[in-house]
Order: sequence, then structure tokens, then C-alpha cells
Amino acid sequence: MKYDVIIIGSGPAGYVAAIRAGQVGLKTAIVEKAEIGGMCLNWGCIPTKSIIESAKQFESVLNVKEFGISGINAKDINFDWQKVKKRSERIVLRLTKGVGFLLKKNGVDIINGIASVQSEKSVIVDKQLFETENIIIATGSKPMELGGVPQKSITSIQGLLKSDELPNSPVIVGCNPHAIELVQFFNLIGKKVVLLASESSLIPDADKFLSDFIHTKFKKSKIEVVFDDEIKSLKNGVLVTKSGEYETDCLINATDRKAIIPESKVKIDIQNEFVKVNKYLQTNVENIFAVGDVNGTSKFAHTASAQGLHVVNYISGIKKEFSNTKFPINIYTYPEMAQIGLTEANVKEEGIDYKISEFPLSANGKAMIEGQRDGMLRLISDKKYGEVLGVQIIANNATDLIAEAGVIMNLEGTVYDVANTIHAHPTISEIYMESGFDAFEQPIHK
Amino acid sequence: MRHIFKFPDIGEGITEGRIIKWHVKKGQKINSGDPVVNMETDKVVTDIPSPKDGTIVTLFGHEGDVINVDDPLIELEIEGVEGTKAQEIAKEEPQKAHEETVDEKGFGVVGSIDVAGDSALLPSTNEGIIEKDDTKTELGQKVLATPVARALARDLGIDINAVKGSGPAGRVMKDDIKKHKTTIQTPVSQVIEKVEGRVEYEDLSQIRKTIAQNMVISKQTAPHMTIIDEVEISKLIDIRNEYKIKFKEKGTNLSFLAFFMKATAQALSKHTALNSEFDGENNRIAHKKYFNIGIAVDTEDGLVVPIVKDVDKLSFLDLSLKIDDLVTRARERKLTLDDFKDGTFTITNYGSIGGMYGIPVINYPQAAILGIGRTLRKPVVIDDSIEIGNVLPLSMSVDHRIVDGGEAVRFLNLVMQYLNDPISLLLM
Repeated sequence: MKYDVIIIGSGPAGYVAAIRAGQVGLKTAIVEKAEIGGMCLNWGCIPTKSIIESAKQFESVLNVKEFGISGINAKDINFDWQKVKKRSERIVLRLTKGVGFLLKKNGVDIINGIASVQSEKSVIVDKQLFETENIIIATGSKPMELGGVPQKSITSIQGLLKSDELPNSPVIVGCNPHAIELVQFFNLIGKKVVLLASESSLIPDADKFLSDFIHTKFKKSKIEVVFDDEIKSLKNGVLVTKSGEYETDCLINATDRKAIIPESKVKIDIQNEFVKVNKYLQTNVENIFAVGDVNGTSKFAHTASAQGLHVVNYISGIKKEFSNTKFPINIYTYPEMAQIGLTEANVKEEGIDYKISEFPLSANGKAMIEGQRDGMLRLISDKKYGEVLGVQIIANNATDLIAEAGVIMNLEGTVYDVANTIHAHPTISEIYMESGFDAFEQPIHK
Repeated sequence: MRHIFKFPDIGEGITEGRIIKWHVKKGQKINSGDPVVNMETDKVVTDIPSPKDGTIVTLFGHEGDVINVDDPLIELEIEGVEGTKAQEIAKEEPQKAHEETVDEKGFGVVGSIDVAGDSALLPSTNEGIIEKDDTKTELGQKVLATPVARALARDLGIDINAVKGSGPAGRVMKDDIKKHKTTIQTPVSQVIEKVEGRVEYEDLSQIRKTIAQNMVISKQTAPHMTIIDEVEISKLIDIRNEYKIKFKEKGTNLSFLAFFMKATAQALSKHTALNSEFDGENNRIAHKKYFNIGIAVDTEDGLVVPIVKDVDKLSFLDLSLKIDDLVTRARERKLTLDDFKDGTFTITNYGSIGGMYGIPVINYPQAAILGIGRTLRKPVVIDDSIEIGNVLPLSMSVDHRIVDGGEAVRFLNLVMQYLNDPISLLLM
């Protein structure tokens, strides 16, 4: 039997592509070597956000006095890792089952095993040959190796999620949203944590405004952050780096990731250790595509899914370039941070005549009600037409709030559209309307 | 497949029509070309034919109703046409209406109107068709576009309906406008590119801008009609020669222009349509009971038209003094806003700089403008003999919305009578 498309990897790039391919009537198979759902569902987005949520709940219980609730004794509350972990596993199980069901419902064959590309039009899984018109590589990524210490003494995020006990003084290495989130997770549950950033900014992809905010927040929380650091050795619980020595019971690798490239008898071009793709997400082989982490152009589950859909459309005859740069970057800190589109540095670099308009949470009713006055929304717009070019939000529900900006920007909306859209009161979302007004006249509540 | 046939634009500036009689009824099968409805417009009463074969599903409007161009007339069910064929039909370009020449009653001016032919039809809507490979959008249907794309198109003078959208469901994005701009090359810019270096650019002066704006408004708003004639003015020349020295003693010139203005004012008082204004908003014509005549003055900066008020009430001497004053101040750029206010008619005397005939553009919103050429000595027939006459060429443009050919000629004849026999200015 010959498939129209075989997808290697069932993470958010692969499984979404498979479902869509099934929906549009392509004979589809998906190959998975471990669990359906890939990193995102099994040991990435879903479980990490689940344990972070537990930590945030832990933190908020400590602060319920502010809301008039008494009788909670800080000494009596306990962060029960086993139960936290179980809860996250339950969520993961439910979601992966859901994905498996959707794949079957849409007629996608699930093949378990490790795939290798045998020819331009065939794939081998466990010695069995499958013929196909198209191949989509969606094999994802794995942590980059850390130099200076034996690999076995390093814990990955996946390893951490599986561990029976949480470390008491972890050192986290990384310079991205996952590292930031993890550092704060340990801080919220009362652990002494150190962040070793390999660069000079906490989140190089985010606007400096967000990086600076969270850095200040970390300082207030007495989290030790070391920039531009380099690991030298780890011996007897002492980590030696360029900057000094740190006692630790766990060195966690949360650095950027590198591609997992499947074996292939066909020569597939590689660039900087990622599968090289063109603007159609096509490799050097016409009918072989690569989507998600593996091609190095997507670092997030949502962009990986978008790429998966794009390639299925391409195979179905809608041959368009993939060029969507308007995707959110969400950081599940406390408070949450999110951004979309261009940063202030980007607009400066592009020489755009821009305006920044903003509104703080401290002047928002719902924010006061919820006890979260720390945060704000910033709109970056071009001066000529008022087009919204970028948005950054710091708020408890920033990762959801950012969706409004996504719609505005995909419709090339302007600050006038934002300001003239009626936002319900009292809601945090009112800060959009106010920031819109701030761009061309006075906000109402500032 | 359903097809909505709209009341087509049948030309001549007609924007509405009254349904006199439906020739069809609901449920009736009709063929392409069959008369659907008898419509009365302000120009013609005509039958509108059906664009296609089909069955009438809906008639829009009752007999006696006034409907606008582009309003739906009938909805047709076209049998046996589904899917792609239906989409093709829906996308069919409206073809050009053919022209039919008609003679206007009472006056020999030949005009033409566009009539709704079998092909002068609008396509039905494209509802439900997501993938569009043509970029033409139906009249009245708002093209899907982002706010920024709209603003950008407006700024660049691009018709957004002509741009193919790359966004979801064919939405026009700002990049589509940018790409479209690079693909269109206007002929004007090509010409300028070719002669670059041999062309000198001069910024528009305010007066030039105003002239440009007013002329465009006039030509686009008032349908012009021009009549041309000649008048023998030997008697007028004699009278002027006789009196010009006396006027000189009083410090002014007795110019021919004063006679032209007096003759015009007097003729206007008898033919007030030429001294009126079209008030389209209220469906009426404003006849003015005062005769303020503008005189076109050629200055270094461009044309200005100051007004002499109440020409009918001024003596020749006062009129001459006023003309002198206005012309002098116009050339010195010392005219005030008041000098331009409330003109009711304009005279342009291009003969004074040697011109013979011109087709003048109405000083809108006035109803007419009289152009006066250079007096020519040429043979004229007087009482069966040929003599040397002094012949003055005249041309007059009128707003045909207000003034028809007959009235224009009657008015000009009277002006000519006054100029041919100046004594009649006093007596008639």
C-alpha cells in the first residue's frame, strides 16, 4: 500500500499535520518512536506548565490573607511533589489519548518505531518498508550537550519530571523561557536556585522590556542570576564555573535544543545542525519536508503546528510561502509574560518610525480585584498608519491576553481599531483599549 | 444558480428611474433579451432586457417606484447551471453598453446615450466562492482588506478592488498593495522618465492649483454645450470712437468690454436661465435677480475673474471706471475676496490679446460663459452688396443641465442685436 504522506514524529508539528492530512483526504501514516504527542505533550509544554501551575497555587495559598481568608498556616502547607507529578501525568495521559483518538478518527495509521528515510518515496520502520508520495520530517529536538561536566551528572527537563524527589538547591543552565520558568518554579516552592545564563540577556528572543522586568523580579525574590557564564566542573556537589562556585544537588540543562535528524539514505541538506528548508518548508528533496524544531526555524509548539498545517496545504496544492512572523512567545512566569510581533529593538533596526503606547495594570480595576497590580501592556505601532507591529504583556493571564494581539496583527489592525473596540468592564483586557488610546490621545484611566 | 440583475447604468448621468410597467411576473420563464421592465428616466422611456434565460424568482419594486442605478431589479433562477459553470457566469465581466445616437427634439444638437443592451449587465455575487482567481470585484461589494492595506491603497492612489489579495479568503494585505504598486506603471511616469533632464518641474502656485481644481469641477459637473456666432459691430465702433475722448477726459477708457457687459446684463434680465445656478440637492434651479458679471483677467500669475456687481444699474462711465480699477488691481494682485464674490455670469475677452474663437469653460457654478474674440475686418453682405464689415466672433458655453440649445441661441441673438445696434440697448 502506498501512502500520500508519511509523517515522522508525532509532536505538535507532526500530529497536527497528520490530522489535517487525514481531513483533506490524504492517505496518511505517522511514525512515533515513543509516545504520541512528542515532547510538547509528554515532557514539554503540558507537564511543565502543570507543575508551574501547582507552584503558583502554592504561592497564592500563602498569600490568601490579602483576600480576607484566614486560618492558613504557612507551616502547615506542603508542596507534595508526588501528587503534583501525578496530576501532571493525568493531564498528559488525557491529552495524548485525545490525540491518538483524533488521528484514528481521521484515518491516520500510527506506526510505532524508529523511521529512516530509505528513498525519496519510501520509509523503513523496524525493517518494514512503507511507500509514500511525500515525507514530512517532524522529529523535533533534544537538549544540547553541556560541556565541562560528565553528561550523566546533568538532568534534563524530562529527567526532572520523572524524578521521585525534587532537588533542594538546583542550578539551572539556560537562556530562554523554559529556563526562566523553571527557575521561578523552584523559587516559588521555596528552593534555593541559581540561574546560569549563557548570554547577557535572560530571554534573547524577547523584548528587553520583558527581560528586564523578570530580572528585577528575580532580584527581589533573591534568585541568583549569573550572565555570560561557563561551566568548568562539577565535583562532590560543587559546581565550578567561570564566575565562581555553587553548591548544588542538581544541575538542570534547560539550554536551547538541537535537531533530532532521522537516518536517511537520501542526501538531505543540513545547515547549522538543522534540516535545511526553503520558504515552502521543503528540503532539497522536492517531496520531503521538515517542520517544527527539526528545521531550526520554529522554537515553539504553536509555530510547529502552523508549519505542519502549511506543508499539508502545500501538498494539497496551495503552494504558498511560509512567512508568518506574527506568533506569540509565552513565558509562564508569575506574573506571566507574553509578546508577539516586533520588539522595540526590531523596529529600531528596521528603521520604522514607531510609537510605544502603554497602560499599567496598577490602573486596572480587575487587576486590583485579583491582587495583581504588577504588570502592563505595551503596544508598538507605526506612526504613519498606526498599525500594531508588536505587543508585550506582563499580567497573570498574559499568555491568553496575547491572543487578541494576534488577531489584530494578522488583520493588520491599527491602534485606532484597538481603541475603538469595546472591551468588557471590569476585565484585564481593558488595558488593550487604554493602550490603544494612549497611542493617539489620552487613555481614559491614566 | 441564482442571478440578481441590477438596474444598469444607462449613461447620460442617469442615476434613477421609475418603474412604469413590469413586462414579466414571478415564476415566468424568460429568455435573454426579453423585455423585463419599462423604465422612465429623465431622458428616455425604455425597456430593459433580460440578461439571461431563466425563471423569475423575485421582482424588486412595484410599478411607480423610483429605483437607483445598481439597485436589484429581478432575481433569476438559471436552470442547469451549477458548480464551476455557475462560478464562471458569476465572474463574467460586464460588457460595454452599445451606443445609440438620438436627435434631441427642438434643437439640432446631436447627443448620444448609452442604452442597456443584452450585455450591459452586472454579474451576480460570488457568495461562497473562496478561491477567486480574478481580481475584479463586483460593484458595491466591499473588497476584503485589512485597515492598513486600505489606508496604503488610498495614499498610493491604488484601486484596492484591482488588487489580488494573498490573505485568508483573498483578503488584501499591505504587502499585496506594495507588490501591486511595483507592477503598475502609469503612462505618465513613463513619459516623464523618458524625458528626464529635458523637463523642468515647476511647483504649482496657489492660483494655478485653484484654477486646476475649479476647471476640473466645472468640466466634471456641468455638461458643457457651446454655440458660436458672429456679429457685425461697425455702429458700435463708431459710437465708441465718438465718445472715447469724452471718457478720456473723465479719466477712463470707454472700452468695448463695457458695451459687451451692458449688452450681456440686459440680455440676461430677459433670459434668466443664463443667470442661474443648478441646485441638484434640492432639485431646482436658482434664478438670480442680480447681474454680477465676472471678467476674466489674464495676469502674469494666471487667470483671475473679478466681479463687477449690478452691471445693469451702472452707467457706462461708472462701469468703465470699475473695469479699470479691477484690471489694475488684478495685475497688482491687490484684489480682495470681496472682488470675487457672487458672480452670476462671466465674460472672457480673449479677443483683446488677439484670439479669434475659444470654447470657454464655465466658471462653475454659474450657468454660462461668453467668449469674445478679436474683431475682424471682413466682407459682409449688406443689402445685396458686399462691404467691408467689422465682425466680432462670439462663443458661449452653457450648463446643459439648465440651458438648452434653443434658449442659449435666443439669448446670444439678443446680445448680438444689442452689439450690432447699440441704440437698441436703450430702447429695447
